[in-house]
This record gives sequence, C-alpha cells and structure tokens, in this order.
Amino acid sequence: MIGISIPGTLLQVGLPSAAQPAVIAVGVLYFSVVVAISVWAARKTRTASDFFVAGKGIGLIALTVASVSVSVSGFAFIGGPGFIYAVGLGAMYIVLPAAVTNVMGAWVLAKRMRLLGEARNLITIPDAIGARYRSPAAQGLAAVAMLVGIVGYMATNALAMGVVINSIFGVGLGWGIWIGMGVTLAYSASGGILAGIYNDVFQGALMALASVLVFLFVLGYGGGLGGISRTILAHDPTFLGPWGKLTPLAALSFFFVFSMGSLGQPQAVHKYYMLRDPLQLKWYPLLKTLGLVLVLLLYFSVGVGVKAFVLGGRLLPLASPDQATPSLLLNVTPIILAALVFSGVAAATMSAANSFINIGAAIVSHDLPIAFGRTVRNELGWGRAITVLIAIAAAITAQRSGTMVAFLGIFGWGLFASTLVPALAVGLNWQGATRAGAIASIATGLVVTLALETAAYRKAFTFPAGVTASAVAMVASFLVFFLVSWLTRRRAPLELDSDVQLVMEL
Amino acid sequence: MDPLMPEAIPSGTTNSGDTTRTAALTALCMAILAIAIGYGAAFRQSGTPAWAPWLLALGIPISLGAIMILGAARGERGGGVGPLKLPFLFVVAVLAIGFCAALALPATESPLSKLWLGLPARAAVVIYGIGLLPIVVLPVAYALTFETQTLSAEDVERVRAIGKENRERASLAKASSGNELSE
Repeated sequence: MIGISIPGTLLQVGLPSAAQPAVIAVGVLYFSVVVAISVWAARKTRTASDFFVAGKGIGLIALTVASVSVSVSGFAFIGGPGFIYAVGLGAMYIVLPAAVTNVMGAWVLAKRMRLLGEARNLITIPDAIGARYRSPAAQGLAAVAMLVGIVGYMATNALAMGVVINSIFGVGLGWGIWIGMGVTLAYSASGGILAGIYNDVFQGALMALASVLVFLFVLGYGGGLGGISRTILAHDPTFLGPWGKLTPLAALSFFFVFSMGSLGQPQAVHKYYMLRDPLQLKWYPLLKTLGLVLVLLLYFSVGVGVKAFVLGGRLLPLASPDQATPSLLLNVTPIILAALVFSGVAAATMSAANSFINIGAAIVSHDLPIAFGRTVRNELGWGRAITVLIAIAAAITAQRSGTMVAFLGIFGWGLFASTLVPALAVGLNWQGATRAGAIASIATGLVVTLALETAAYRKAFTFPAGVTASAVAMVASFLVFFLVSWLTRRRAPLELDSDVQLVMEL
Repeated sequence: MDPLMPEAIPSGTTNSGDTTRTAALTALCMAILAIAIGYGAAFRQSGTPAWAPWLLALGIPISLGAIMILGAARGERGGGVGPLKLPFLFVVAVLAIGFCAALALPATESPLSKLWLGLPARAAVVIYGIGLLPIVVLPVAYALTFETQTLSAEDVERVRAIGKENRERASLAKASSGNELSE
C-alpha cells in the first residue's frame, strides 16, 4: 500500500519525441484552426464584458464543450493514465466524482451566480463574494487567494505546453514554452474569453474524439475489458481491487477533495456567468457530465490497458508510469491516433492556460481595484495589458527550476477549494453566513494550504498516508467558516442585501 | 455606501424557519466534522485506525448530499426540495453503500474471479456504482424538475427587473455626484 504521490501530475515528465510527419501535420493543422478562431473572436471583442465573460452571450452547447475542455488538463491524458498504471483503480477516485460534481455545481452555484450576474452585472467570482457579504475586503481577499493559485497553475501549464510542443515539433523545451504561451497569449489578449471559449469548443471536441478513439482501440486490442481484467488478475490482482494499491483513506481523500473541491475551481465556476439564457442551465449538467465521461475514457482505458499489455508481454515495461500514454501511442496505435492525442494534450493545456490568464487579468484589473475602493476606467485595455504580463511571467517562471514549478502547481486545486468552497458555495445558500466567517474561512484556507505545502516541500513535515494538505486545509476552512459565522450570527441579516436575499430564496 | 448596493434588509428577516436548509446545514457540518476526525486519527503515532476510513466513507456522501440539498432548497414556493428528495436519497445511499462495500467486502480478486461487465465484483461496485449510477439519476432529475424546483422564466424576470432598478439607481447616483462636482 502506498500513500498519495501522483506521478506526472504536472506533465513535467519528458515525453518521447513524436516528431513524425503525420504528428507534425496534425499539429500544424491544430494550431492553424486555433489562430483562425482567434482572429474571428478578436474582431467581436469590444468591451470589458465581452473580454471577461463573453458579453454573457454564449449558447448552451458551446459553453458545455468549453467547460469540459477547461475542466480537463493534460493530466487526464498523460499523468492520469500513468497514475492508474502505478497504483491501479485507486487512481480512479480522482475522476469518479465527475458523476456528481457537475450537477452539484448546478444546484449549489450555477443558478445563484447567474442570477447575481443579472441583478448586479457581476463578472468575476470575487464579485459574487463581495456582493454576498457586502464586503470589498472579502472580495479582495478572495481575489488574492485566487491570484496565488493562478500563478502556480499558469507556470505549470506553461511548462506542460512546452513539454508537449517539444514532443510534437522537436523544437526544445524552452522554445516549446514560448511558442505555446505565445499562441495562447495571442488569442487571450486579442479575443479574451470569447476567443478562449470557441477555441475551447474546438479543443474539447478534439479531446473527446481522441479519447473515444483510443478507448475503442484499447478495448479491441486487449480483447475487451474482460480480457484486460483477466490478464491483470493473473499477475497483479491488487491492481483491480477497489482501492488499487492506495490505502482506503488515500482513495477516499481523493474523492473528497475532487468532489467538494470542484465547487471552488474558478475555471469551471466562472463559466456560469457566460450562459446567454439562464433557463438553458436545465440541460447543462447532463451534457457536461456526458462530455466529461467521453474525455475521461482515455484516462481509464490507457491506465488499465497498458498495465495489461505490459503484464501480458505485448508492450515493453515502462521506464516510468508517465510513459503509459506515449508508449501506447508510439508503439501500438496507428500514428494518426497518436497525432490526434498529442494535439489533444496541447489543446488541454492551452485551454486551461487561457482560462486562468483571463481570470487572473479580471482579478488584477477589476477585483483588486474594487477592494481598494478604486475603479479602473478602461478595464478592457488594462485587461489586455495584464493578460500579456501574466503570460510572460508564467513563461519565465516555467523556464526555471522544475521542482519550484511543481511546488507552485501542486497546491492550485487545493488552494481554490479551501479558500472558495465554504465562502462561495455554502455562503450563497446559507443566509446565516457572515462576512467575518467568510473572511476567516478564506484566510484559513490560504494560510493552512501555503503553510502545509511549504512544510511538505521543504521536507520539514510528512503527512500520514492518505492525508493531503488540500484536504486538511479545506476541512479547516469549513470548520472555521461555520464557527465564526455562528459566533457572529447576529450580524448576518445586516450583511445581506435585499436583491441578494431574493436570489438566495429562489 | 456604494450606490449599486441596495439597502440591507431589516434585522431578523432571514429565513431561519426553513427546516430543510437547517437540516442540510446541520448534516453538512456534522459530516465535515466526521471527515476531520477521520483525518485527525491518521496522525496517531500508532498509525491510522481501522475506523478512520469509515468516517470518510459515510461523511463524504452525507456532505455531498447535504450541500446539494442546501443548494436545491427554495425559500419560496413552500421551500424544501420537493420531489428531489428521492434522487438525493438514492445518490447518498449509492455512494455510502459503494464505499462501505469496498471497505467491508473481502479481497477475493483472482484469475478465477467472476467478472461483472468486465470487472471483478468490488471494482465493479466502485466503477459502475459510484462512477456511473449517479449520472443516470442526478442530471436527469435536475432537468426534469428544473422549472418547478430550480428556475422558472418568472424567476428570471423578477431578477432582471431588480437588475434594471439597480442600474437605474446607479446611473442616477452617478449623475447626481457629477452635478455636485460641477456645482
């Protein structure tokens, strides 16, 4: 049994070179489509609302596919299958929550955030926290916490882009980072979230197509799921146990962090503002869940499939678990399928980077000025300028020490979860929540996550198997939120505006 | 005061009588506490006790069910979650039974194991039970009850009317502050 250590989470492993004519051709085609979409979107972006929330005018299907695209990073294609290969079915507890998270988000956040957007013309997640608690301080603190998480995510995504582009075109890691960030920056700065959304639609469709084709290929090659299971059971039955090689606490901990924590992930939550008609939310959870299932088929099938192929002697043993997907693609599948998947991985990292660049720019040009009692006159201009700065900073950071970048990226998910879930997800549904409770909760999430992750990074502290900083920080943040709100409960009615209360009653 | 901020509602008008929300909040609080105890127990020097994962196995489904009920409960139209009770109960039960079965069932995986849709029994419980069954129930229940339990066109119109008032109030406040400056 092992504790929690996810190989290749950040896609920093060196991928083998895939620079073959078919892969390069599909890669060039992929980048050409991205550029074409970006030019079209740039012509349609005229206001800050267009730039940050696509003028609240995105249709259901486009928003759904885009949301699937930003919810899945390169981890689902490379690190995830490698993690299954290493620890067995226990790694599935990272993705199993997808069965409930989308509809949970719809019930808990989507309606209220979308209606708050109508009532207050809100465009960011800290906006919603500020409106809920009548508090620029809470809005500012949430913005700072998100910015810290975004810095980490951006650096790791920039590095991931470099790794994938280097693998496809063989240009070197440094150039891969600059090319990936350059293309992402070009469409982020010119077309804002509109370019991001329609590129996400293209990228999400590509990811789903690649995932389904790989899934069907693996099942066919392995003699169906039964054939794959029989091969594994003959050599390593623990692999197909309900926890794989993880402890039950570790697997359950994954489920908790990746289910409850999903309510605080800005790249998905921010999308609720963008839907053209709030009534279209009706089919959003169903469509998004089905989309995610399609994209995650590769995660499961490659993880168990490669394990069976290696155990059965049909594939050479892997140098490291992260090589599960590349090894299958470059040694077993038709090269065109490899080309599709490599472009799909590039798509996954670029869509995530674009989304975080946009959210980070909104925080700096919109939320932080509000927190300090100021307004920015030209939000669109500032938004574009800050987009450029964030992208350049991320690319420069990504060129530095790999372990430092890994450290920055590891706590991204946990930081968003611990700082935003209680104040936002519970706060928008509980009228007894108070401003003091929200601020204390966000501060607790921020401090506990940073302190525990730093201590772990410096090897000053080792968690027991199954316990993570993200989980501890989220639980602490919840408990502080409940306790401080209860202690200051007399203030709750005074901190709730009538329009916000109506939205919470509906 | 920010002109965009409508006045605070009078003290004492929060909807504290909503029993569904109160029950959901209590359940959420208790479940998070159970999860915290489970994690806390893992720090014991003698190692993680056998009961710690059980706290998570029960705490996680209850916390997820509770927060969904908290989000789905309406303060208006009689409150509560109406017909959504059953889907919520079903999903909490599926998750709890799935986790508990994975903890309780003996490890019998071997080359001779009977396969359920291609997987040994305990793995099938996890992948098909926890991973797929909720998909069949929850999003469909959400869509089927959307107009009555979640959002109607009338709700949207009410909020849009308030949004219009807010914008008018903000532009009036802006205009009057501009006049004061010019005077």
